[in-house]
Amino acid sequence: MIRLRVIAGAEWRYWLRSRLVLGSALLMAGLLLATTAVTTLRMQGEAAERTHHQDKAEAAFLAQPARHPHRMVHYGHYVFRTPTPLAGFDPGLDPVTGQSIFLEGHRQNTPMFAPSGASADLGGFSWLSPAMVYQLFGPLLVILLGHGLIAREREAGTLATLLAQGAPGRLLLAGKAAALLSVIVLMSLPLALSAALAVRDGDPPLAAVALVGVYLLYLSIWGALALLASALLRRRTAVLAALATLWVVLTLVLPAVAVSATSNAAPMAGKLETDLVMLSDLRKLGDGYNVNDPAFARLRAELLAEHGVQRVEDLPVNLRGLVAQASEQKLTDTLNTYARAQMAAETRQAIVLASHGWFTPLLAVADASRALAGTDLAHHHRFLQEAEALRFAFVQGLNRVHAEKLSFSDDIRRSSDAQAEARTRVDASHWRLLDRFVFEPDAAGSRLARSQSQWLMLCAWFAVLVGAGAWVGGRLKP
Amino acid sequence: MNPSVTSLAHMPKLQAEQLRVLRSGKEVLSGVSFNVAGGEVYGLLGGNGAGKSTTLAAFLGFVPAASGRVVVDGLDVGSDLAAARRAMAYLPEAASLYEHLDARENLDYFLQLADMRCSADEIDLALDRVSLGAEARGLKLRSYSKGMRQKVAIALAILRDTGILLLDEPTSGLDPTAIDEFHGLVRGLADAGKAILMVTHDVYGACQVADRIGLLRGGQLVAQFEAPPGGRIDTETVHRAFSPRAAA
Repeated sequence: MIRLRVIAGAEWRYWLRSRLVLGSALLMAGLLLATTAVTTLRMQGEAAERTHHQDKAEAAFLAQPARHPHRMVHYGHYVFRTPTPLAGFDPGLDPVTGQSIFLEGHRQNTPMFAPSGASADLGGFSWLSPAMVYQLFGPLLVILLGHGLIAREREAGTLATLLAQGAPGRLLLAGKAAALLSVIVLMSLPLALSAALAVRDGDPPLAAVALVGVYLLYLSIWGALALLASALLRRRTAVLAALATLWVVLTLVLPAVAVSATSNAAPMAGKLETDLVMLSDLRKLGDGYNVNDPAFARLRAELLAEHGVQRVEDLPVNLRGLVAQASEQKLTDTLNTYARAQMAAETRQAIVLASHGWFTPLLAVADASRALAGTDLAHHHRFLQEAEALRFAFVQGLNRVHAEKLSFSDDIRRSSDAQAEARTRVDASHWRLLDRFVFEPDAAGSRLARSQSQWLMLCAWFAVLVGAGAWVGGRLKP
Repeated sequence: MNPSVTSLAHMPKLQAEQLRVLRSGKEVLSGVSFNVAGGEVYGLLGGNGAGKSTTLAAFLGFVPAASGRVVVDGLDVGSDLAAARRAMAYLPEAASLYEHLDARENLDYFLQLADMRCSADEIDLALDRVSLGAEARGLKLRSYSKGMRQKVAIALAILRDTGILLLDEPTSGLDPTAIDEFHGLVRGLADAGKAILMVTHDVYGACQVADRIGLLRGGQLVAQFEAPPGGRIDTETVHRAFSPRAAA
């Protein structure tokens, strides 16, 4: 243990005297500062805009005078999702999926049926975030510091001197690994600070700790790769070339190949095609505005029989409201069927894409990072589902008011009779049927559960590399 | 050989027994056998590619023996490598030490890796023994001449205080004064009972300092020479054997 510390300490002395760590730390700090500033400014701007629109939309909605309930069904309302504090570190899919949905009758929220092509680009490489600095540039810095760990000693001849002192090769590798690990821990400090701030702002501590942990593991994998290459190859230039090639393959080529392979392995129907089929199905549901539509004949007959009357005007409830309710139910069932299929297809794609983490740790860490930060696809889907549940409850609530508070006779005459029209208005207290929408981000347990496979992949990568390192260390030659 | 350590001479500290080494499938050592006793300097002579450095590498466990064996202080290198390495000190050809460290820092680091702790006074004493000027000791090794580096490496060997010393082309690149100083140091260490195996292609230097000389050619030990009691090995004889055509 003492010798391990001595070897690690000697490496640090070399780095400090060569100013390698200082240069690398400045580079990393610069990148993180820039991306954090950009992300924070963007999120602050979005938050200000969101709050402004949310307040405006809510005030406008609640300020509506007494109206016919169906007018309010079509008036619509926005709901917003506040990003998790950890989204400041990893915005994940948020920039692609958006954080607001317009709720209205007879329609589902538009993001639900966003262009399907977007879901294949789950890597979210559209812009640089602190998470991407860690995912893409973190490994480069680890390579920069780690490529010479053994190769430098070999080239200078000091490896022979070291081994000749009786220090086992495995001990040497372990000491060098400890030095590199300490740098990785230092590199993770800005992330740890972000995580601590996120916990202060309400994110679960376990998710924040796990996020720091998953990046430590990811960078350690790169450290192990650098050390292994340094121990196996004779020249520093060869080590650097090999590691640079590996970086290009693992962080740029394979993720792109994986996205393409995912699109082929789990294809999704295009938006236009889906919309046309869906519209055709919706047309078969009948016209909810027409109480005489054959699609609602059975409902009408059952109601008349149930209340023992011959005419709809004699019913104690407004048939128009009931038809609107039944129509909305059928329409929502159909829309939900398509939404579920769409979500299942997107989830299938996400699973296929995530499975490529066995081939490149970048995909594994990116997936785990999004899950832990609460910016992954599952989070987005839950937002859509909760917003849709709210929309449905609100519309059906107004339809119930329509059925129970408005008479059928007034309802059918309201366009020609001003008094009837006045009686079909209900007061604004009914708009409060729409509860203030609050989207609760996933608890730590759910986030951890969703990142489980990625942890397994990263642990497997690390275990294989540590095993290979132990094997190479036992055979280390100058 | 120093008469006071005659008893040690009967105990081989280094042994190569029918040593055969392959590199990339090619035989580079073929059945090499010799031993070095305590208090003895054994010079291993040979031209480029004769197998000198490979022999040293085999003692250090850097290359495996295809057959035969190498023994260090009674320890089989093939089965007890770490202990065997701890039993010897090694001086590589280029005195490979850290250029970004000064002499004391280098010594301190390598000693710690050998699981040893020496005080600053002990380190200075060793540097005194190799005559490294006090003013140079705080300078980084990048400013040292090869001779000065060699002195630091020898100081390491002294501090390691092992019974065995392996030297790889130790006088290569040194000026004549430094070579004389070095030979004096080596002789002194041998007289103190250490077994020294010195690999070199310097016939004259080997004859100056060695008690016995082995001549390697094409991976085989083709001749051995021994100094007469109280005398030196005849340079001319060795030179003729080393390079028959040049001698003719």
